[in-house]
Amino acid sequence: MTALLTGLRQLRQYPSAIIGLTMVFLLLLLSLVTVLTIPYSEAIRLWRGGAGVWDESPELARPTWFQLFSARKLPKTIIVDTRQSGKETADQPDGTRVVNASLRFEFPYDELPSAVGLWLSATYKEAQPFVILTWRKPNGEEVAFEERTPQQTDRYFVSRDERLRERLQARSVEEALFDAGSRGNGALLRGTYELAVEGILFEPDADLEARLVVYGKVHGIAGTDAQRRDLSVALLWGTPIALMFGLLAAVGTTIFSLMISAAGTWFGGRLDASIQRLTEINAMLPGLTLLVMIGMFYSRSLWVMLLAIILLSMFSLGIKTYRAIFLSLKEAPYIEAARTYGAGSFRIIFRYMIPRVIPMLIPAFVTAIPGFVFLEASLSILGLGDPDIPTWGKLLFDAYANEALFKGYYYWVLEPAALLMITGMSFAMSGFALDRMFNPRLRTA
Amino acid sequence: MNGGISTATVTVPPSRSAWRETLHRVGLYTLRRVTVLLGTVVIGTYLAVLIANWGGEVDKMREAQCKEKAGMSIQADPALQVLPPEERRRRYEQEVERCKQLQGLDRPFFARSLEYLRDALTLSLGRAMQLTSDSGSREVRNIILERLPATLLLFGTADLVLFFTAISIALFLSRRYGSVFDRLIVALAPTSTAPGWFYGIFLILLFAGLLHLLPFGGMVDIPPPTATAEYAVSVLHHLILPVAAVVIGSICLSIYSWRTFFLIYSSEDYVEMAKAKGLPSGMIQRRYILRPTLPPIITGFSFMLISLWQGAIILETVFNWPGLGRLLYSAIGSQDTPVIVGTVVIYGYLLALTVFVLDIVYALIDPRVKVGERGIGS
Amino acid sequence: MNNGLLQVEELRLHYRTTQGVVQAVDGVTFSLAPRQALAVLGESGCGKSSLARAILRLLPRNVEVYDGCVRVNGLNVMPLDEEQFRRDVRWSKISIVMQAAMNALNPVLRVADQVIEPLLVHQDQQHDAALARVRDVFQMVGVPLDFMARYAFELSGGMRQRVVLAMALVLNPSLVLLDEPTSALDVLTQANIMNVLKRIKKDTSTSFILITHDIATSSELADQVAVMYAGQLVEISDAARFFREPLHPYSQKLMASVPRLRDDTKLEYIPGRPPSLIALPRGCRFAPRCLQRFAKCDQDPPMIHTEDGRQVRCWLYE
Repeated sequence: MTALLTGLRQLRQYPSAIIGLTMVFLLLLLSLVTVLTIPYSEAIRLWRGGAGVWDESPELARPTWFQLFSARKLPKTIIVDTRQSGKETADQPDGTRVVNASLRFEFPYDELPSAVGLWLSATYKEAQPFVILTWRKPNGEEVAFEERTPQQTDRYFVSRDERLRERLQARSVEEALFDAGSRGNGALLRGTYELAVEGILFEPDADLEARLVVYGKVHGIAGTDAQRRDLSVALLWGTPIALMFGLLAAVGTTIFSLMISAAGTWFGGRLDASIQRLTEINAMLPGLTLLVMIGMFYSRSLWVMLLAIILLSMFSLGIKTYRAIFLSLKEAPYIEAARTYGAGSFRIIFRYMIPRVIPMLIPAFVTAIPGFVFLEASLSILGLGDPDIPTWGKLLFDAYANEALFKGYYYWVLEPAALLMITGMSFAMSGFALDRMFNPRLRTA
Repeated sequence: MNGGISTATVTVPPSRSAWRETLHRVGLYTLRRVTVLLGTVVIGTYLAVLIANWGGEVDKMREAQCKEKAGMSIQADPALQVLPPEERRRRYEQEVERCKQLQGLDRPFFARSLEYLRDALTLSLGRAMQLTSDSGSREVRNIILERLPATLLLFGTADLVLFFTAISIALFLSRRYGSVFDRLIVALAPTSTAPGWFYGIFLILLFAGLLHLLPFGGMVDIPPPTATAEYAVSVLHHLILPVAAVVIGSICLSIYSWRTFFLIYSSEDYVEMAKAKGLPSGMIQRRYILRPTLPPIITGFSFMLISLWQGAIILETVFNWPGLGRLLYSAIGSQDTPVIVGTVVIYGYLLALTVFVLDIVYALIDPRVKVGERGIGS
Repeated sequence: MNNGLLQVEELRLHYRTTQGVVQAVDGVTFSLAPRQALAVLGESGCGKSSLARAILRLLPRNVEVYDGCVRVNGLNVMPLDEEQFRRDVRWSKISIVMQAAMNALNPVLRVADQVIEPLLVHQDQQHDAALARVRDVFQMVGVPLDFMARYAFELSGGMRQRVVLAMALVLNPSLVLLDEPTSALDVLTQANIMNVLKRIKKDTSTSFILITHDIATSSELADQVAVMYAGQLVEISDAARFFREPLHPYSQKLMASVPRLRDDTKLEYIPGRPPSLIALPRGCRFAPRCLQRFAKCDQDPPMIHTEDGRQVRCWLYE
């Protein structure tokens, strides 16, 4: 207990340790909060994406706080749905129905939306409805879309309608829909826009709903990627995954290194010599390339990689340090006493030698964690990351595959990189300070 | 300062038997190191072969190559064109079987793996499945050899810059213990946990993306200049960011640990003696602090280089540098097994070679290697 | 004595440590004539090694106080700046042989290359002439010439110490400081080294200051003896009279603890421990352990000169 208190008092002398440990604590807290608020299965589902999950999310949108850096007002995503804004249904004498809906929205921004999309869902038995769409700009100008005959669900990506674009003779559909002048030369028009939906249903019980999505250019706290996924899911969930990976790898490697060097020192002779050779050889093996091959030919699963990394890092250089300590311990009188009263080798190793070494372990352990986190990121950025689990390295890989740096989507690269940096630095600062605390030789210097 | 003293003045030339002994000792040392290093290469390559072939990938590769060869030889032989298709098919399958037997594909797993090991070690690496070298060759060896110089250029330059910069600053700092600069380095040492490629991303973002000062990647401008001088300048221009990335990724830790070494070694008695002898401080720095500390520094640098080599894979990918790392990345993308295996083998050799070179340097600067723990004279 | 080789007046060297200020050398005054050997005796921790370093200005990073007067051949060297001191005093006038020669030699240079350095640096000699001098000095201390091309780790402890001694003599300095030169060696080698020192003292005009806790060995070489206790010199006397009849109670106890060859008297020891150099008490520093203390000992005694030319820091001789 007193050892702990003196330890804490010593800690105060090292500001870097305090900062580092605080950051570690915050990261752990973040992980906990994330795991509790977004269950794992939910995170995986969201990350896998697929049909319907991210439909209303803009593509490659910057984070909302980016607005602070921009003088122009950047558009957010606007959704207008007949289910909320209402529609008029009029039954006609000839058994048909006419549905009229006016999807109105305010557009007060300085930049064009990234895209426009329309979802129509119709209920009918046999005859599909006939829908007329008219776009009205604030200055009264009208643009007629093509008529549609929706089935149960109809997705109309207005922005990708090439015929419409050609007809309007504009560079992009959004430009034509949102600007003041004809021929796409005017400035952006701010004000109330309206999409008039006129649906003719051929059955008395048929129904029609419409949902207009005007995709913005900013979204959420972290922005979105090329598959419209909100990056905050991956960033948040990446935290517990990175921490878990780093911790487990460090723990596994340390435990095995300890056991190996203890066994080698205790049993001595050829075992010790072979362990020394293996350590030297292992230090010179190109580990990353071997991991690459495992990822290529077997499995990219996070757990397989974790196991492989532990196996390849077991014969670490730490073995030499532990060996030196164990050697000095081996000759200690209380060890000899234990042998005389018949304590078995394993008991001596585990109960006496290993606990003595633990203070030495801790700084090395803490400093090793960021190394493993970056190793996982390295594998992911090469494309060998776990395909299902969202990690920061995977985000970097996606960003690179989509030429994010070249195209200016800096947030996509900066956000995972910043988190990696914070994690790395917090553990590294703590580890270095702990090393200075526990290792007296370094203290004088 | 007095320039008349070289660090290697031998005041009395050792006798001929002493020379023979030195040679003998250095020879033994070299032999020991070469054995260990070769052993490492063999083990590493064998591991690579095992991993590659455990699921039968390499076998499939070989089989595919056999089929390709058999098919081509059947096509090329005019005499066989007149035969009916079933007969041709029979000949084809005969040829494939013969080829497979020659390759030993019918032998047990262990024997096959040893053969692959032998092939890999002797660098007969087969043909690529998808990739080709710039000269059009499909031989893996040629593809790799073509990319090797680019990697060596980048890696060699970065290491030299890192080493000499770090050592000079560390030596300088060891005399200013407790100064602002010193404490800054101590505080920044943890930045070296992030690998070079990580900083590379930030550098690209800043200098290429925002400031447009330096190129995004690649080794030369496109199209490459024809005049040699301009070509060289273009390469240097493209070299700046990747080298900077490598240096930033390791420099704080290097300076920190070497300055700690220098501090510890500065408190040795012989340093105080040198001061008592009235030697000028520059001489003390060079001969009494730097020289004795070099052996452990070289050893530490050797380990740093090993991890730098591995980081080079991603560094080249990030910077689109046309070297081995980038090759490996492309091979992963196109699932080109022969190239992947070949690159892994070459990496093994490169690592071993690097360590060997540093071992030689170590032998040159540590007299205990040359002389050995010889019998103590009375 | 004026106009001697070395005059030290009120030399002080205090260090700053986390526990306080260590007053290692606290007002030391003595002088030394040419061709004389002075033995400085004392226990570990009394400040003897710091004295040697103070004279040669080999100061650590945490110096708190360093002042006093050190005259070499009449010239006060304290005001000299670092570069002048390096050029004029270090090694050419005063050299040092340190404790534990284990580590006094650079492990990556050949020994001759280290011994030749002062010649090339201070006297700007040509390589061949310098080499001749190195050979001479090796022979003087008794190191075989074929050891010149060896490295320090190839030599035994005794040989290393001889090389260090040769190195100290190479510029023919007026004064050589020897800090525990033989404490790390076995008895036979010790005797050898002492013989070398005696021979050199006879053959050259070098003075020595021998700092040691080994009273017996110092008696072979010393012309004068100074006893150091808690940072101060408590007795200065010529050797003959000191060894027969020490004056200061501390010196008396020291001598009583040394076994004699032809004597059967019971050995004595000094009760208690020397004071810490950080919080030194007022008054005589030996008083807490002195059996002859009396009331006046609560005041700091000055160095008292006796009629027969000896000096004692003790109220008993007032």
